[in-house]
Amino acid sequence: MLIRIQGGRVVDPTDGRDAVGDVWIENGRIVAPSERTPDRTVDATGCVVMAGGVEVHSHIAGGNVVMSRLLLPDLYVSESAPNGHPFAHAGGSGSWVGANYAKMGYTTAVEPALPPSNALATHLELADIPLLDRGALAVLGNDDHLLQILRDGEGKNAVRDLVAHTLSHARGLGVKCINAGGASAFKDGVLKLSLDDEIPVYGLSTRKIMTALLDAVEEIGVPHPLHVHCNNLGLPGADDSFVATLDAAEGRRIHFAHAQFYAYGAVDKENPLTGGFRSAAERITEAMEAHPNATFDVGQVVFGQTVTISLDILRQFAGRKGANPKKWVLTAGDAEGGGVVPFLYKPRGGVSSLQWAIGLELMLLSKDPERTILTTDHPNGGVFTEYPRIIHLLMSREEREKEIATLPAVVGERSSLPTIEREYSLSEIAQLTRSGPAKLLGLTDRGHLRVGAKADVAVYRDSPDRTAMFSRAKLVLKDGETIVEDGEITTWRFGRTLELDVEADAAIVRRSEAYLQDRFGQGLDSFAVPDAAFPETENFEDVACRA
Amino acid sequence: MAAWVKGNAADKDAAVDAAATLLATAHTPVFAGLSAELAAIRAAYRLADRIGASLDPVAGDGLYAELGTIATGGALTTTAPETLGRADTVLVIGNRPWDGDLVAEIAKSKPVRGRAAGEERSVLSLGGPANGASRHVAYGVGNASLDVAIGHLRAFVRGNLAGEDAFGDLAKRLAAAKFGVVLFDAGEIGDAGTEMLLGLLKDLAETTRFFALPLADPFQGRAVTQLSAWTTGQAPRVGFGRHLPEHDPWCFDSDRQVAAGEVDAALWLSSLPSPRPNWLGSLPTVAIVGEGSADARPETAEIVITVGVPGSSIGGSVWNERRGVIGYVPASGQATADTAADVIADIAKKIEQKGASC
Ligand SMILES: [Zn+2]
Repeated sequence: MLIRIQGGRVVDPTDGRDAVGDVWIENGRIVAPSERTPDRTVDATGCVVMAGGVEVHSHIAGGNVVMSRLLLPDLYVSESAPNGHPFAHAGGSGSWVGANYAKMGYTTAVEPALPPSNALATHLELADIPLLDRGALAVLGNDDHLLQILRDGEGKNAVRDLVAHTLSHARGLGVKCINAGGASAFKDGVLKLSLDDEIPVYGLSTRKIMTALLDAVEEIGVPHPLHVHCNNLGLPGADDSFVATLDAAEGRRIHFAHAQFYAYGAVDKENPLTGGFRSAAERITEAMEAHPNATFDVGQVVFGQTVTISLDILRQFAGRKGANPKKWVLTAGDAEGGGVVPFLYKPRGGVSSLQWAIGLELMLLSKDPERTILTTDHPNGGVFTEYPRIIHLLMSREEREKEIATLPAVVGERSSLPTIEREYSLSEIAQLTRSGPAKLLGLTDRGHLRVGAKADVAVYRDSPDRTAMFSRAKLVLKDGETIVEDGEITTWRFGRTLELDVEADAAIVRRSEAYLQDRFGQGLDSFAVPDAAFPETENFEDVACRA
Repeated sequence: MAAWVKGNAADKDAAVDAAATLLATAHTPVFAGLSAELAAIRAAYRLADRIGASLDPVAGDGLYAELGTIATGGALTTTAPETLGRADTVLVIGNRPWDGDLVAEIAKSKPVRGRAAGEERSVLSLGGPANGASRHVAYGVGNASLDVAIGHLRAFVRGNLAGEDAFGDLAKRLAAAKFGVVLFDAGEIGDAGTEMLLGLLKDLAETTRFFALPLADPFQGRAVTQLSAWTTGQAPRVGFGRHLPEHDPWCFDSDRQVAAGEVDAALWLSSLPSPRPNWLGSLPTVAIVGEGSADARPETAEIVITVGVPGSSIGGSVWNERRGVIGYVPASGQATADTAADVIADIAKKIEQKGASC
């Protein structure tokens, strides 16, 4: 079927496009304008046409996400669903996740924490998220097998082979490390860890583990750079950890998760943990400009109740004292495990207002929105359905001023947000939410509207009320098929889970089998994610390694 | 597969048709058991949503004691392999943990990872059978119930009580652990005991690392819980009577509902073994049971359909207790049997064809 989306303002920064024009689609792909009469014409007059949104970091599946629902049964509201919308109105469910992303014009979402020890359940849950293509990042950096290989100085090839095999067996799209060595150290009694502190028993440091993973990711040719969650998340002085980690990458590609939570400069350098924090957004921005090898996603904070979900059990354990309501879950798992701590970003609170300001500051100071990805680290900074509101704040200084006027003075005293005049353009929003994240994930077939791209397209009614505009797309196509009209789901279909096509060396397979049998009494089979576990659909789609 | 309708052998289509009629015309159907592979449980959730049924896994008392405590206070847990690999101190509470092989395995091994690696492991018991089967130091609870005993122990750990009492000694041993684990069955120690134990662990966590290892039920309760959470946003038990998932362990307790005359039809899903509900013969029921099982016979229920058993005649995702995760087990031979998921999907399709309003 030939489709013509006609007369909309087509915004594709990868093609220098921001003008009224047409987008043509056939067989699920963007095609060149055709002489033929289209089978379907969509009148996009007065609308903005963009590629489907791409999410790089949102906690939408896995054991800790499940646990967050058990801990806080009332966090999301369930509503009665119309017939034929299975579970889409069940607050916080996988269907709810898929439906709410799709309504905003998002068509791909990546779960950043795929624990290799719990890969099957995570993938089964991802597979039950409708409408979107999904993916997940295999977490490494605390497991005894890797740490042993590093401790014993077995060399780069051994690390590369273990990483490649773990990634392939867990069916991940990329690799993430979360406070590398931190979970292991926590189990051995450590409560604070910085880049060069010793990890007990192994004689390693976060730097040694992380740089080994950086090398392995490059050697394997994983399109997505190592996705790094640094030490000291959320602490005053965490900006030092961010900058030190960036330096430690020594020019290798690196992605920083939820940078906002590290853009906290200590007010009192002598007593960093008690003196409070001020924005370090300018410092982080300068460091990013000096290091074109790096990208980050923001982790914007949203006011209100949420729950924090993280495999950084060292930091989550410390965070238990701030749990609101006062209950929390900590799992010392087979590598990381996880921590689930409810949190209230107090509306108009001093700390939360400053956090809110810092996230916006990071995006507004950035000279390169493609390396500055919009996330709320859902649900850690807030729920992803707040993206339209955040876009509104980025695009309108007036809207920001209105909000800042309701907030405590600390926003102006400890951040530069009130002085920033910049207003994001639609092209820059597309970089922040489409082309940037797609490039970052190495998904060349999406995030843009050039010929050959997947026909993942979002059409929005242009409006100065950007919140409304981006909350309910007028039309969303996934692979050329209509899934949303006027902000409502029209077709329930399933996308695919994207996995990296990577081969494992036979020797490491044998070695892993022996290692796992010894430790778990069960081997690789018990960690497997076979196609047969997804009987209804062809679930996975390969993504190629870098040449 | 074999199937029976009202005691008579039937072919699959006839049995599916009868099942669809029974469920579609019910006002308040309940789905019980759910001791099955994940794909079948998933199909049951979808059918329940479609016809407004409630779901009640057979998993039992331990599951709800655990879920209740998580919702009120949280949890502090670890895995069996981490216990075996790291723990220098293991406290076994009550009798039930001694039924399996894990305690013996813990007692005869030493930590090999982490800061306690190579040290002796101290195995302690509270209110256990004290039968001398495994090396351990036993602490009795006298006439006290386990929850009261845990509360008593907690008072020593907090320093609210002190002295040469046996519990004073036990509290000191726990506090001295480098990596401690409490092994227990939430069903045995009950809601109050589970909550009290969480409090004890949180107190110990202030100064050392100490975690719980609650035993899993043998009927797929934890797999059901995960699927339920990602499907409905809620733990079981869940009802769809008002076309939205409502989590209410009391209201949707199938035994209570049947006794109160609140339900008029049931689907009992048990492709893996599980205890038969006592109402099976009296309430109009579709029983989907494992082929070759004791329940695969015409008398089991009004409609009986046999299906493949995960790990033998079919492959499926099921709870792996040792690893504490959902794992895939392939068919042991050539997979041939109908799956419970397919049968439930066929029933759903038939109901749709019949145009049942709901
Ligand atoms: Zn995150």
